[in-house]
Amino acid sequence: MPVLEARKLVKQYLLGKHQVNALSGVDFIVEAGEFVAIMGPSGSGKSTLLHLIGGLDKPSGGEVTLAGHQLSILKDKQVTQIRRRNVGFVFQFFNLLPTLTAGENITLPLLIDGKNLRKYQERLDALLELIGLTGRSRHKPDQLSGGEQQRVALARALITEPAILLADEPTGNLDSKTGTTIMELLRRSCDELGQSIVVVTHDARAASYADRVVFLRDGAIVSELYMDKSAAQGDSLRRIIDELEKLESLGAEAVQSI
Amino acid sequence: MKLERLLTLRSLRSRPLRLLLSLFGIVLGVAAILSISITNQTAMESVNRVFKDTSGKANLIVTSSEIDSRGFSEKILNRVASYSGVDAAVPSVQIQTILVGDAAPSQVGMSFFGMEAGGLSLYGIDPQQDPLVRSYTITSGSFLSPDQDDSAEIVLVDSYADEHDLKVGDAVEIDTEAGLEQLRLVGLIAKEGPGQINNGAFGVIPLATAQKLFYREGKVSQIDVLAVPEFSGTEALDSLRTSLQSYLGKDYSVLYPASQGQRMTQMLGSYQIGLNFLSGMALFVGAFLIYNTFSMTVVERTREFGMLRTIGMSRNQVTRQVLIEAVVLGIVGTALGIGLGVLMARGLTGVMELILGLALTDIAVPIHAVITSAVVGLAVTLIAAIIPAWQAGKISPLEALRIRASSNEGCLIRFGWIIGSILLLVSTFILIMNPFPYDVQFRVGSMVVVMLFLGGTLLIPATVSIWVRMIHPIMRLVYGNIGRLGSSNIQRSRLRTTLTVSALMVGVAMIIVVWAMTDSFKGDLDQWLKGYIGGDLYVTSSRPMGRDVWKKLESVLGVEAVTPVRYFEVDWINPSSQEERISFMAFDPASYSQVTSFIFSQADPDANGSLRAVAAGGKVLISSVIAEKYGLGVGDSINLITRVGQRPFEVAGVVVDYFNQGLVISGSWADMERHFRQHDANAFLVKITPGLERAAMRECIDQLYGKREHLTIETNQDIMGKVSTLMEQAFRMFDVLALIAMLVGFFGIVNTLTMNVIERTQEIGMLRGVGMTRGQVVRMILAEAALIGIIGGVLGLVFGVILSRIFLLAMTAMSGYKLTYLLPLQRIFLAVLLAFLVSQVAASLPAARAARIRILEAIQYE
Repeated sequence: MPVLEARKLVKQYLLGKHQVNALSGVDFIVEAGEFVAIMGPSGSGKSTLLHLIGGLDKPSGGEVTLAGHQLSILKDKQVTQIRRRNVGFVFQFFNLLPTLTAGENITLPLLIDGKNLRKYQERLDALLELIGLTGRSRHKPDQLSGGEQQRVALARALITEPAILLADEPTGNLDSKTGTTIMELLRRSCDELGQSIVVVTHDARAASYADRVVFLRDGAIVSELYMDKSAAQGDSLRRIIDELEKLESLGAEAVQSI
Repeated sequence: MKLERLLTLRSLRSRPLRLLLSLFGIVLGVAAILSISITNQTAMESVNRVFKDTSGKANLIVTSSEIDSRGFSEKILNRVASYSGVDAAVPSVQIQTILVGDAAPSQVGMSFFGMEAGGLSLYGIDPQQDPLVRSYTITSGSFLSPDQDDSAEIVLVDSYADEHDLKVGDAVEIDTEAGLEQLRLVGLIAKEGPGQINNGAFGVIPLATAQKLFYREGKVSQIDVLAVPEFSGTEALDSLRTSLQSYLGKDYSVLYPASQGQRMTQMLGSYQIGLNFLSGMALFVGAFLIYNTFSMTVVERTREFGMLRTIGMSRNQVTRQVLIEAVVLGIVGTALGIGLGVLMARGLTGVMELILGLALTDIAVPIHAVITSAVVGLAVTLIAAIIPAWQAGKISPLEALRIRASSNEGCLIRFGWIIGSILLLVSTFILIMNPFPYDVQFRVGSMVVVMLFLGGTLLIPATVSIWVRMIHPIMRLVYGNIGRLGSSNIQRSRLRTTLTVSALMVGVAMIIVVWAMTDSFKGDLDQWLKGYIGGDLYVTSSRPMGRDVWKKLESVLGVEAVTPVRYFEVDWINPSSQEERISFMAFDPASYSQVTSFIFSQADPDANGSLRAVAAGGKVLISSVIAEKYGLGVGDSINLITRVGQRPFEVAGVVVDYFNQGLVISGSWADMERHFRQHDANAFLVKITPGLERAAMRECIDQLYGKREHLTIETNQDIMGKVSTLMEQAFRMFDVLALIAMLVGFFGIVNTLTMNVIERTQEIGMLRGVGMTRGQVVRMILAEAALIGIIGGVLGLVFGVILSRIFLLAMTAMSGYKLTYLLPLQRIFLAVLLAFLVSQVAASLPAARAARIRILEAIQYE
């Protein structure tokens, strides 16, 4: 059963006096334990799609069903609750609370949900080990490097064992080596914990860690690539780059034809 | 709760400057309310206690209704004692004398109630009966012998004895009308209860001794009455007072002891209303600072709140989070404010002591005042934080993903000008039509003030673009082309700008009010003082001064003229047919006009004619306060109660006189002697020959007669200097509050501009990217601040002038004081300049911050 199902998603908004169609009837499904990457040029609607499937924004049309909950019929408070328990977020700019330690940042969603933190100590320790920050839990964000902060953000997204993890340009603010570390962690959480993941990225290398890559242009899905899990990293990367080049040339032709 | 506790404590600790700013706002408001409340209460209690202590447990006092300093026959004592309802009637003779060897004080004591020349107050008492009404605490020796009512004994206050190096057993020499007399000091009492009379310069001697030494045989000054328990309730006591008065007749006055304090408490009342109003304004500006600082915090933490919303914090949780932070700050700020309030009360009490000329009792912190301040402090903090908390809750999760923050303008900003216009129209109508009777004018004035400020504030958003266009040439001149960019920026966050301008407006208005009140009051007071002090030297004494002293002063070489003045209390039947006690100033018209002059307040006064009329007898000058209060004028008749009963006096003129809150009538010396049997002067005003040095003449007179006649001589310059100091100190606390209001306006600008800079980080980065220099960025922010400063300054000036006029009108209505409104032009320019300068200094930090923005970081975007 899919963990996320989006049907005929439309998003329009006003920019000054002009109406912009960010998404035009997108269908998007994520199966349980699947790792999907969404790629596309700026303005393609990839971030908008992420916001809608994560319940951060309301679509102008269409429907999102997340972990069995139809979001459009729910009130903001109910959507917030569902998001709290079923969605983990990783942002481009980490977004850790500077006043909390790494450990406290990780357990923040549990605190918001009124959980007894003592019961989650084991899980916390396991996540700290997963992200390689055992012994650093008392450090504040300003005592951690960019990569370490993003790892803490990742652990925060995983602490509630969410139905789906959504990442918006998780390597956008990191160097390539650190970015690789983050993507490898995401891959591990998918493989070892069965975590369903959707990553929005413009980085082909990051996208190559996914099981499936969806390509958006002008608010619509134009292409999809299924990755061969047994294939080498480099092969996956080459396929994605080829697809991007193909889409680019199609786009140039479309422009020329106007 | 654990979540809120964790986030609250960490958030507050991580922003110490914000924490301090918010705390400052709360502490300011709470401290102002509490300190003023404590001071008012302490002053009121002290005043009432002083007068109560002199009569102690007495329920009523009987005095003569004639003003005869030699007292009344003690034969009345038995009649009072045997009256039904009276438990005890205790006689006393009250004398003002001097300790021999005690040099006359070299300076005149000063208070709002006049001037004093020290000396020793003595009560001649019945040692057995007097303790029934007055409590004496013996600290050394013993009390007066109970069975020897004419013994040569004296009991003094211990502090006074210490000052004069006297101990039990010593011989004390006092100056009496029978000559110098020695009395044996048999005991000392504590400086409490009656020991506080004359600030401790007080003693008791046996009644018969006092009567003999001061030629008062068979006479007493006062009878203290103790009522039987059944008559000690309010209504029963009042009926006893009325019936006893009626029984004794019009030659006697039966009064409540505390009524003697009414003059002071009335004076205090006016002052306290002003203080209370200002404490209310302090609370308002404190609340603004809290709102502003919390708004700042919400803007700074927009992404943080967006992230919390993303990971599942609900709107209510976010709102509650901010409110909990406000509660924590409110509790801490209130606690600190209470501490500061008690400290401030000490300072304010010192000022009150100067005003009253009275040492106040130890400050008692009334629990109800503490609770009120605490509740108000917490309530104001919460109210001020509600809007920022609600705005925080509205933050969308998407804000976590944005660099650029957005601000929404509510409908109050868009349509508030309609409400603002209505408020301004209504308040203007009330000001012009003034449909309410005078005794509620001040309350109405306060409401009008709030409506004015609110109306003006609500009009700001709609008029900002007009202000921008009007001030554009100045902006261009001062800041160049960049100025236009900066000044147009204030149209973007209109709610924030409006409130900042409003805070600055209140600060400037308060400063204008203080300046106008001080200048107006001082202007009129200076003018009046020149007449009241008059001449070149002011001579007074702790003892009454007769014609012989007058002649002696006139005989001094270099003295051109000497005129006596005598103040005493007299009853009159006011036009409302009520008996009221006022002051009578007796003067000798012939010599008075040689030394000084009255300031006539009626239109086209005939000063000489008025003085001639008074000199002829049966005519008086009334103060402008009495004239205003009772609608009296030249030619009207007033009834004064003399030795032989009511007697009409014609009003010959209306003069400016602030003595005794203006409740004073001036009449001739001859009338005083004839109708009120007073013969001595309180003071002599001396005019010296032009060209002679005042200080030298003062020395000369002091050497000739100072010690012999126990005179205190001061130049009128010195006295006027003291009065100025007294006035300055009284107004100083208003100055402080006004400055604090400006300071809050200052912090408001700092906060607002910093928020604006944060929100426009990307935009500023872009401007820098296309070539704007750091200096130009600074000028842009300064221009934005300048517009805030100018609008706030001009509006503050307008409302300040309106407000000060309302105050003056209210004072006239309530007290009869008719002050001439005075606000020099340079003060007006200074006010606007001050607002401008404050805006520039306040903008320097945010401008520096804006200039430091790194281009690449700022323009990073999705």
